Amino acid sequence: MMTALEIVKAVCSGEKTAEEITRQALLAIAQKNPDVNAFVEVFEEDALARAKEIDAKRARGEKLGALAGVPVGIKDNILYKGHKATCCSKMLENYVASYTATVVERLLAADAVIIGRTNMDEFAMGSTNQTSVYGPVKNPANLECVPGGSSGGSAAAVAAGMVPVALGTDTGGSVRQPAGFCGVVGIKPGYGRISRYGIIAFASSADQVGILSSTVADAAKVLEVISGKDVHDSTSLEAPVPQYDAQFTNGLKGMKVGLPKGFLDGLGQGIKDKVHQAAARLKDLGAELVEVDVPLAKYAAPCYYIITSAEASSNLGRYDGIRYGYADNAAKDLNTYYEASRAPFGLEVKKRLIIGTYALTSERYEECFLKAMKVRELIREDFKKAFEKVDVLLTPTSPTTAFKLGQHDEDPLALYLADLYTCQGNIGGLAGISVPFGKDAKGLPIGVQFYGPILKEEKILNAAYNLEKGL
Amino acid sequence: MEITKKDVELAAKLAKMRVSEQEASIYQAQLEALFKWVAELSAVNTDAVKLTNVNHCAHMRPDVTSSDPALAEELRHAFDEEQDQCAKVKKVL
Repeated sequence: MMTALEIVKAVCSGEKTAEEITRQALLAIAQKNPDVNAFVEVFEEDALARAKEIDAKRARGEKLGALAGVPVGIKDNILYKGHKATCCSKMLENYVASYTATVVERLLAADAVIIGRTNMDEFAMGSTNQTSVYGPVKNPANLECVPGGSSGGSAAAVAAGMVPVALGTDTGGSVRQPAGFCGVVGIKPGYGRISRYGIIAFASSADQVGILSSTVADAAKVLEVISGKDVHDSTSLEAPVPQYDAQFTNGLKGMKVGLPKGFLDGLGQGIKDKVHQAAARLKDLGAELVEVDVPLAKYAAPCYYIITSAEASSNLGRYDGIRYGYADNAAKDLNTYYEASRAPFGLEVKKRLIIGTYALTSERYEECFLKAMKVRELIREDFKKAFEKVDVLLTPTSPTTAFKLGQHDEDPLALYLADLYTCQGNIGGLAGISVPFGKDAKGLPIGVQFYGPILKEEKILNAAYNLEKGL
Repeated sequence: MEITKKDVELAAKLAKMRVSEQEASIYQAQLEALFKWVAELSAVNTDAVKLTNVNHCAHMRPDVTSSDPALAEELRHAFDEEQDQCAKVKKVL
């Protein structure tokens, strides 16, 4: 599969038509999806009609958009009017979007082609993509392994060469962790950079749309297209959107890269070595390496599981069979009706709702929810101080590479630790990107991650671009 | 932090969900491990922290009402039945 930027060039020059590109993507999906299970629905007819419109536009001599003819997969929690959006849950199995998410509107305005919806952990709760009602996604690097999650379908679709770009959402690492596991680029911008209008909510103080792509330059272009203020999302930021790829530099002279103290403690040697190698590479490229202290970042994961579960318990209250979701009309009273209507939630979703509800009970509110919120503020302060000294931080994306399907099913805490390095970005509202950096002894991809402050996505993109270029 | 099966059942009830005996046992063990981990937060001194929500509200837009007749019309057509300019929804119970 060509990169998104190569496709745009080919379509704009007439070397290829958007229809040819779309048919190539459809063929790749038909060939590879039966093994990988990355797409849960392909919008074949719609995508081909859209591609033909783009070709007709070019034939009329009209200027094409920044993503002309690029096939894009969208995670199954992103609304596209007239198409199903199920969050890969039985709860929403028949839900058809009644409006289109702003990110999709912006992709369409840039002449991209929405090719289908991608698999995910149910309601974006998970890091293995095993909780989907459509069955698990397999990692294209090794079909016995998980692709990561929750945007595992989007990551696997890009890694398998079905599409050059896919959208995901990232509440605790759900774009960056699968990107690392599958060997693709995954960026989650800072909180507020991208509109969430039309994204099915999980945890509103942490949810962000992210991009999975095969190159950093593709991620930069898509980010530029979909970012910016949206009147429909009060949390989207007013700040202008830069042309990110225009800020790519040849080398990293003048950039200060922070290495957080203690972040590599307890890691396996393979990943530790890769982070050291990445740091050495950045130094060779002209960056200055600076050790920084972010002492409270180690508490981000427990904060994350309390805060996001509490928010989920509120956000998912709407699936009561009346406003949204499955309706059980056999019930005789309202309480029974609610209970029956909420039965289709899977085990992990139910568990998070129980965790969140429990943390919000009057007995536990102060010591759990309020405490986590306060520690979160201190973690934010820690990162703020670190970014007074450095431009970006370098960390592993995940503590391990992809593991076997079912490997940690009996030990959910081990699964929760898969988000150890990524949930810090959501707790801190930071911008984060995972970029592939080699493989482990079993041939499984390893990702390294850059963090940057909010609205400084150009810095992490530039660091990732240089690291990618040097590979 | 000890979590009992009763705690799980109470939280499930508050969340308007039914959990089986078996589910409650599984969740109890898993929640206990999780909340033990969460208890590590008590090591952090948060006495001076005041929650203001500034981080999330500083850039929020003013509350403004807007009307879009086309959208209103579209929404009305999304329902099968209409009566006195109100959409008729299906009976719940």
